[in-house]
Formats: sequence, structure tokens, C-alpha cells
Amino acid sequence: MERRAQALNQSIMCPVCPGESIDQSQVALAAQMRGIVSEKLAAGWTDEQVRDFFVERYGPSVLLQPPTEGIGLAVWAVASLGIMVGAVAFALAVRHMRRRPAVERDSEFDDEASDVDLQGYYTRVEASMRESDTEERG
Amino acid sequence: MVDAGQIALVVALVVTTYAVVASFVGAWQRIPELTASARYGFYSVPPLLLVSTSALVYAFVTRDFSVRYVAENSNFAMPHIYTWVAFYAGNAGSLLYLALVLASVSAVSVLTIRKRLPHTTPYALGVMALIVGFFLAIMLFLANPLERLAVVPADGQGINPLLIHFGMFIHPPMQMAGLALVAVPFSIAMGALAARRGGRDEWVDLGRLWGMVSWLVLTIGLLLGSWWAYTILGWGGYWAWDPVENSALMPWLAMTAFVHSIMVQKRRGMFRMWNMALIIVGFTLAQMGMFINRGGPVPSVHSFAQSTMGWLFLAFMVGTLLLSIAVFLWRYDSLKSRERLEAVVSRESAFLGQNILFLAVAFVTLWGTIFPVFSEAAEGTVITVGRPFFDRVNGPLLLVIVMLMGVGPLLPWRRSTSRSLIRALRAPLAAALLTMVALLIVGVHQPVALVAFMSVALAVGGILIEWLRGVRSRHRRGEAYPAAFLNLLTGNRPRYGGYIVHLGIAMLAVGIIGSSFFSVQRDVSMKPGDVASLGDYTFVYVGATHTTQPDSAQSVVAFDVYKGDNFSGRMEANRAFYPVFRIASTKGAIRSTPIEDFYIVPSEFGSDDEAVFRVLINPMVWWMWASGPVLALGIVVGLWPARQPAPAVVRMPGGAQAARA
Repeated sequence: MERRAQALNQSIMCPVCPGESIDQSQVALAAQMRGIVSEKLAAGWTDEQVRDFFVERYGPSVLLQPPTEGIGLAVWAVASLGIMVGAVAFALAVRHMRRRPAVERDSEFDDEASDVDLQGYYTRVEASMRESDTEERG
Repeated sequence: MVDAGQIALVVALVVTTYAVVASFVGAWQRIPELTASARYGFYSVPPLLLVSTSALVYAFVTRDFSVRYVAENSNFAMPHIYTWVAFYAGNAGSLLYLALVLASVSAVSVLTIRKRLPHTTPYALGVMALIVGFFLAIMLFLANPLERLAVVPADGQGINPLLIHFGMFIHPPMQMAGLALVAVPFSIAMGALAARRGGRDEWVDLGRLWGMVSWLVLTIGLLLGSWWAYTILGWGGYWAWDPVENSALMPWLAMTAFVHSIMVQKRRGMFRMWNMALIIVGFTLAQMGMFINRGGPVPSVHSFAQSTMGWLFLAFMVGTLLLSIAVFLWRYDSLKSRERLEAVVSRESAFLGQNILFLAVAFVTLWGTIFPVFSEAAEGTVITVGRPFFDRVNGPLLLVIVMLMGVGPLLPWRRSTSRSLIRALRAPLAAALLTMVALLIVGVHQPVALVAFMSVALAVGGILIEWLRGVRSRHRRGEAYPAAFLNLLTGNRPRYGGYIVHLGIAMLAVGIIGSSFFSVQRDVSMKPGDVASLGDYTFVYVGATHTTQPDSAQSVVAFDVYKGDNFSGRMEANRAFYPVFRIASTKGAIRSTPIEDFYIVPSEFGSDDEAVFRVLINPMVWWMWASGPVLALGIVVGLWPARQPAPAVVRMPGGAQAARA
């Protein structure tokens, strides 16, 4: 019984302290709601009935777990979809990288050529850095 | 003094603006004199912000309530030591703190990168200065921490009592610093990209270094936050999937992916685009963290500093995201990788899988966090997405991640044969099976918990066995065991640093698994002298003492606790009520051992000191807090510069690298 109450408490949000369950919250209302939960359970109510009782009083947002119907379904569906997209992306990426032709590994740095026009700049940058180094030391 | 701070703030903004323009123009037009002047200008920003910070601290210490921020966040009753907390308790102060941290770390990072990445640095510095400038501009135009009040109040409003806790001395500044620090690897990556060096792998070492630094700071921030919640929020838990917790977790997830995948670029020259994409995602999520924390649209227990300023953070986030994507597309060609993935079963693909898993967790978390906003806009009904959702969806993903942590490091780079894989996995699998048998004997029967513990055992087993092998083979070559151990460690710091971090994560996982599957709790109403029990603990409510402090009413309750028949000591919990804030803060009495925590927390008091207490047994939580120092040690080992720089490794042909792996 106590375990059931605890599980229920953890699934019901405290209406005045958003984001916290009534199990977690320290405010008086949460304590009162915890009391109601154990009372109702002692009176033989099912978990579903207790939840519905609170939904009737405080609206659907009182449940911490989104419902699996209506717009609440979107929460679950999109999350699952996201995970599936991830799995597919993994498979596609692996396949794509597997298909690359093998290359000479030493050519890894051959994009050096495209930087030829920058050579003059680097020399100047390095010269200025040497200068600033001596300045810093002095 | 306050005026000096104000002037320093204005000068800092002017200098930063100059640094942005001069750095970008200088880099673009290739005028080294201009980029150098931008750099020197930028170096002056941290000292300037230090002046502003000193001015604010001075105002706090001298109780100068003519400064609005000081009047709103302190009063005469506040001990001076809380000046540090008050400094970042409100919006304006936290902005100053963020700007100071970001500017200082950016300046240091520029010192570390400018010689090795001469072409990248000017662009990177421009990006850093842009971000610092954003904070400075918001401060000066919207939330000035040094603003004066027209009418000076006799006393200040005081500090939020929930912040009066040791954890608050470190958690918020660590968390904020972690979020801000993600900007450094991001700037380096963007700089490399803009300078057309993103496809060359020279930025990788420094990007990795600063990525790991920010990862560590974020990790410690998260751990301290959980610890704070555990000891003071009084519900016996440490993580509630609260929006602000989530917003701090998401950049951590992305950065975890980044510090792993960057290794693939370092070793194999692959994943170049992927790494850029990851750091952009990480930085965007870090900004989202600041946005949600600064009074975003999602209600949360962390809403200490609500304001409309959050929307500016959102605008800045979207702006930098679009800009990063533009730079990415503009330099797309320079990111092509020609390296081939040689086998599906390899270290490379394990890293990719790890990355995808972490991003999946981040995505689920993001979706769950922002969904209420959508549902309200779409249907007008607010749907709460709380803990049960995250536990159900993220739980299995995290479990797979822990499993992968066991297998991944055992896979060789490039390719592996099934025979060598089986050989590598044999011993760790044996360790996992042994763990299962041991747990079944102890009486653990929950299948999910068993699988979780086995995965941890697999990971730990794999690491320890490999370590042992290395030490033994060195010992056979004539080194004494301690020397062999040290030489092995110093011989490949990134590898063993990573292993130590994995051990820390395994400890963290043990704590989380233990406490989420086997925690027992009970709410009991007791009068002084009453006896109650939970598990094999029996506790006697001795009584309560009440005292009145200038700012609060304190109640200390004492319990005599017995485990079995042995007296294990007197435990004291504390509840304080702050009438000014109408906030009660509780501090649980916790007896912590590596096996389990016994935890008592008072909630309300009735007449005659009758009170409701929540009592919990939380197994293994101790391991979570103990993992912090281990993680830090691992990062330090992994980043500690080698005595002799070994440029040979970078240029070595791939085959030789594989041999080293």
C-alpha cells in the first residue's frame, strides 16, 4: 500500500510548485494531496481512479506522465521517432563511409596547395608574433 | 568605487566591440597589425571586468544599498561570506560573473592557441569577443549590476535562503562557468572553419583540450547541483528531470559526444563535419541552458532570476546558430574527409554509435522539456512532461550507453576480427557474469537492475583487465609494479585519463542504479519519544529544539538511530523558516556509507513538536558524490601536457597509429 501511494505521489504534480511531484514537494498543499492519495487507496480506489480524481480537480497538467492519447501521444511518438532517425542515420553514415575509395594516407595534407596564396600572410603573421614576443619579454 | 566599476564596464564594452571588428577585418584582409591590436585589446577586458567586480564586491561589503543590486540581494543580517553567493544570485550579477569568467578563460585560451593556430586565432578571438560583448551589452543596457537607486533604502531585501548552503558556493558558479566555457571550443572550431582550417586537423588538439575543460566544469556543476538538491530540497532524491536540470544536462550530453568524436579526427582524420556539427549543437544547447535559466518559458524550481531577458538570450542563440550554419555551409568544401571506414566493427563506429546515443538522449530531453510550450500554443492545454517520461525513454538509452562504454574501448581502431574481439571481451564478460551471480546470491532479482549492474561490471572489468595486462607486461620487462603502473599511465595519458574518467562514470552509474531501483521510503508522523523503523533501521525521535535567529526560525530535531541492535549514533536534521521570504529550507540528516544512505528529513511541525518525517534508505548514493574527484583526476591526467611534445604522432602514417592503439 505504501509503495503504491509512493508511486502515485511520484506521478502527480504539485499544482502550485510546477515541475515538482507531490512526493517531492515540501509545501502544505502537496502534503495534503499525499494524505488524500493514501486515504483513497485505503478506501479501495484503484490507481486510475485516484489519478482521474486529481485530473478532474486540477486539469490534465497535474499528471507528470503525458497521456498516450490526443496531443500527449505526440510526446511519445516524436521521442521514439527521434531515436529511430538516430539509428537510421548511424546505419547510413556507416554505409557512406564504408563506400569511400581507399586513399593513400600520406596525401592527407595535400590540401596545402590551396593555401599557397596565404603563405605571404603567414610569414607576416609569424614575424609580427616574434616581434610581440620580444615586446612581451622586454 | 562604484563609479570606477561603471566606467570599467563601459570601457570593456567599447574595447570588446573594437576587438570583434578589428579581429574579423584583420583576419579577412590579412592585416596582422590589426589582429594583434584586437588581441591586446581583448587581453585588457578581464582586468577591466575585475575592476567592475571589485566595485560590486566593495558595495556588498560596505552595505552600500544605494546600488540597486546590492539592495535587492543582501541586507545587514547577511554574513559577509555570502557576498560571493549574492554576487551571482540575481540576473545582473550573474551576467557580470559570466562575462568575467568567459573573458578570462577566452584570453587564456587565446594565449594557448595563437602560436599553434596563427590563422585560426583571429577568427576565434572575434567569436569569443562577440559572445563577451553580448553579455556586456545586456548588462549595460538592461541589467546593470552597478545601477544606483534614486532612494536609498535603510536595509536591503536579503539573500534567497535556499542559496544559503555550502553547495551554493560552488554549484551555480561551476554550472554557469561550464555553460560559458563551451564557447571556447566553439570559438576555436568556428575560427578554424572560417580560416578554412576546419578540415586540417591542427585545431583538433586544442579544441579537444578546451572541450574537455568545459566538460569537466559542466560535470562538476551537475554533480554539485544534485548533491545540493539531495541534502537541502528535502525529498530524498537528487534528480527530478526539472527543466533547468535538463537544460544543464543537454550541453553536457553534446559535449560528451564531442570529446569522444574529436578523438576520431585526431587519430584518423575522419568525422570532420560531424565534429563541427557537434560543437555547434553543444554551444547552442549551452545557450539554451542560459536562456531557460534566465526566465525562459518553462516553469521550474530554479526560477530564481526570472525576467524577460531570457528572450534576448533566445534571440542570440538563434542568431549564432544561423551564423554558424552559414559559416559551415560556406566552408563546407574544406571539411571533406577522404578516410574510409574500414570495418563496421571498429573503434570508429563505436564512437559514432556513442555520439548518436548521446544526441538521442539530448533530443528526448529537449523535446520533453519544451513540449509543454508547444502543447499550450497548439491546443491551449498544458501537458506536463515529467519524470516518468524521461525515466522510461532515456533510461534504456543510458543503459545502452553504459554497455557501449564496456565494449567500445576494447575495440581496435580501423578493424577487428571476430576472434580478437571475442578474446578481448572474454575476461570482461566473465566479470559481468560473476557480478550477476553475486547479485543473485545477495538477493537482487530485478532484471533491469541486473542488466545495468552487469554493464557496469563489463566496463570496469574491461578497463581493469587491460590496465593489469599493461602493468604485467611492463613488469616482465623488469620494472617494479609501482613504476610499471606509473610508466604505463604517463606513456599514454589520453588513454588512461579516459579510463579513469570511465571508472568515475561507472561509479556514478552504480549510484544512480542503486538509488533508482532499490530506494525505500516512508513518511511517518512522530511525537517526541516515538519509535519507528524502516528496513533494518530503528529510530527514536528524541525531540526538537527551536531557536529564533534574526532572519529565521530554526528547528533542530534529533534522532537516535539503531541499525539492527547496534546504536549507530545521533542524527540531527534542521528546518529553517525565513519569514521575509516565506520560504522554509530543510536540511536532511544523512548517514552516508558506500553501501547505503540513511536519510531523515522533517516536513511540517504540528503542536507538541509532533512532525511528519520522511525517512529513506538510498543504496549506493555515496558513489555518485565520490565519482566527482575521480572524474576530475581522469581529465587532469588526460590533459596533462606530455613532457616532450610528440609531433611525430600526428604525422605518423595510419598503420603505426593503429599499432599504438
